[in-house]
Amino acid sequence: MVEFEVPEIDYDQYSNRQLAAVPLAVLAVAIAVLVGAYLLTGSPVALGIEFTGGSQLTVESTMSQAEIQNTFTPEPVSVQGVGGQANTYVLTFDAEAENVSALVDQAEAADMTVLGSGETPASFGQQSQEIALLGLVVAFLGMSALAFALFRTFVPSIAIVLSAFSDIVIPLAVLSLLQVKLSLGTVAAFLMLIGYSVDSDILLNNHILRRRGEFYESTHAAMRTGVSMTLTSIAAMTVMAIMATFYNIDLMAQIGFVLVLGLTTDLMNTYMLNLSLLRWYKFEGVAR
Amino acid sequence: MNVRDNWRVALLVVFVTASAIMLFVPGAAPGTSADNAGPTNLQYGIQLDGGTRLQAPAVGITAEGVNVTADGEARLASNVSSALSVDPIDVRVSAQSSTVEVFVRDVSHDQLRSVLEAEGYQPESVRDGVTQQTREEMVRVIGDKLRQSALDSGSVSTLQSTGGQQFISITAPDRDREELRSLLDERGVVRVYAFVPADNGTYVRHQVLSQGDFARISPAETQRGQAVVPVTIRESVAQQYQEDMVQYGFDEQTVCNYDRDEPQNTRGRCLLATLNGDIVFSGGVDGGLAQLYASGEFAENPVFQMETRNISEARELEISLRAGRLPAPLNFDEARSTELEPALAQRFKTNSLITGILAVFAVSGMVYLRYRNPRVALPMIVTALSEVLILLGFVSSVQYALNLSHIAGFIAVIGTGVDDLIIIADEILQQGEVATGRVFQNRFRKAFWVIGAAAATTIIAMSPLTVLGLGDLSGFAIVTIVGVLVGVLVTRPAYGDILRYLVLRQEHDDD
Repeated sequence: MVEFEVPEIDYDQYSNRQLAAVPLAVLAVAIAVLVGAYLLTGSPVALGIEFTGGSQLTVESTMSQAEIQNTFTPEPVSVQGVGGQANTYVLTFDAEAENVSALVDQAEAADMTVLGSGETPASFGQQSQEIALLGLVVAFLGMSALAFALFRTFVPSIAIVLSAFSDIVIPLAVLSLLQVKLSLGTVAAFLMLIGYSVDSDILLNNHILRRRGEFYESTHAAMRTGVSMTLTSIAAMTVMAIMATFYNIDLMAQIGFVLVLGLTTDLMNTYMLNLSLLRWYKFEGVAR
Repeated sequence: MNVRDNWRVALLVVFVTASAIMLFVPGAAPGTSADNAGPTNLQYGIQLDGGTRLQAPAVGITAEGVNVTADGEARLASNVSSALSVDPIDVRVSAQSSTVEVFVRDVSHDQLRSVLEAEGYQPESVRDGVTQQTREEMVRVIGDKLRQSALDSGSVSTLQSTGGQQFISITAPDRDREELRSLLDERGVVRVYAFVPADNGTYVRHQVLSQGDFARISPAETQRGQAVVPVTIRESVAQQYQEDMVQYGFDEQTVCNYDRDEPQNTRGRCLLATLNGDIVFSGGVDGGLAQLYASGEFAENPVFQMETRNISEARELEISLRAGRLPAPLNFDEARSTELEPALAQRFKTNSLITGILAVFAVSGMVYLRYRNPRVALPMIVTALSEVLILLGFVSSVQYALNLSHIAGFIAVIGTGVDDLIIIADEILQQGEVATGRVFQNRFRKAFWVIGAAAATTIIAMSPLTVLGLGDLSGFAIVTIVGVLVGVLVTRPAYGDILRYLVLRQEHDDD
């Protein structure tokens, strides 16, 4: 049977600079990706119909995907098959399409059974974008304020804020590269990520700063607990992402996918970036 | 072991029992009936049960800061409506909120402003949208319409958003989009006119009754083959109505031959009732009623029957009379809508349940691999599951309509829940004796500091979602926040006690 033990890493052989370099380099690449996407397309990430406006139909039909595609004017932006369910497709139309009732009529005229339909007007989408951004900023600032209130010292607190920031930006860059369209579900996932990813950082800071005991001993104790925590969450979210993708439950699939990315990033950020900052603070920062 | 030492476990048992009752005992949750068909008291939203949801803003613009007095309201309203040539019902003046609203599409901000300035008022600003009072009234009227039309499980609410635009959100579980729209498309405006020839012989409409003039509306019925809605007129207007009837010559039996295509070709004297501008009733007054008008007895018992062409029209008239008219129409061009067939929703329900169960298995597997000790791992899984049970009890007691976002929230709660249990377990099981109460308390408190801090960050991160109008996501945020609170205050402390008991016994057994 598989053993699940958190390995004891010999941090002594790496300097703080070396440890911090990797996550900071990844963060820099991620920011570069987002800025590049922004310059190329006007938006750092692709936006789904909930943010741009558009319509969606879920239909049952014996036609092929290409046939379905040609049935509609205007043509759908995407036709996706639904896993585990033969002849069921999700069709997405952009905001230029007429209202969804007209699309339903077209589908029914072509002998498709319409199982579900929805539309978001462009103005509604625009507003959702602003609200979502506002929500993320407020949540992030709230979390940062709390981090400072909990530890009341600059370096450990900023370490938490920095890794949380990186935990959001890196998955965002991955989504941007994969051309995944952002939806309300992704926003929820990012907010959850703010809450989730900070846990292991708080744990690490707490063990190192608030307890007696040697630095590496505390670090290892915190890692044992923290890595188990994060891996358990990753396991739950991987299952959710895979199953929900298979069943085409978009909202759950997106939450799962973003959290898997974010929590994996968090492993790197917590035990390389945050740790190096703490070690510097503990051995050099305080002494000065 | 006594209760005082184990009050945390006792509290957990109380919560779990109460939740199980809320969830499974038919009729236990407020608002459910004992003969509920489903196996649980849970309410499902349209994503899991099918139905339609429409979110639309109201049509209209509002001028704010108009210093009109209560006495001046009516005059200003009628002047504005004639200056803009819009129907009087599309203008609302309120001295209380100092606002003037116009509920039509094609009036611009500048037009309204200049009309008000011509009337001698200086509006502070003119904006899109309607006032809160109007929105609340719309919510009430739509709610009444849904209930009257046997959409008993439908719900209406306003949807707050930061952009200044306000939406009205309507959910109707067993209707498709067209049915819901046709119910809401019409504002339900009812009017009664006298249609009589003037001195020069041309026919003229005189409005004699409007929506608010009816006191009691009886159910639509068929009497001698004729669909009717029996109505009673308000006492305050009965006298005026009677005088109008006499003035327009209805104090003797009248015959009416109304010509729908060419109203001017009508013969006789007619009473017309319109619903949303369509004539649903046209007819004369029979001898008996005419006599009541003539003698003035009518005002003492102001009851008559409004006839319609068929029973469905009578039903529609009744709904409109009862629910009242929508103060402003809904703007369907900017509506967001979702419609889901029950079959597809059912599939989502099953599939998301499977996903949830598999996520629990994944978590359990990881926990077992990590601890290798069923005494540690098993209570951990049971505790995490009891957290979900308590949450389900919570949502069924408040009769929250469950959607996919909530299921995602449950899975998130299992995830964070187990995280915290791992922190507790690692802290308590670290090297050394757990035996003495003080050591246990000390370690537990240390673990709790981290858990509390982590919970606080999750709650802070989620709280913007509960108030921002992002649709489904507020449900997700509320479930997560309640889950974290239940976890921190009830289930996770109890796990500490359970663990202590099991580990102590194991150490004892090992001796």
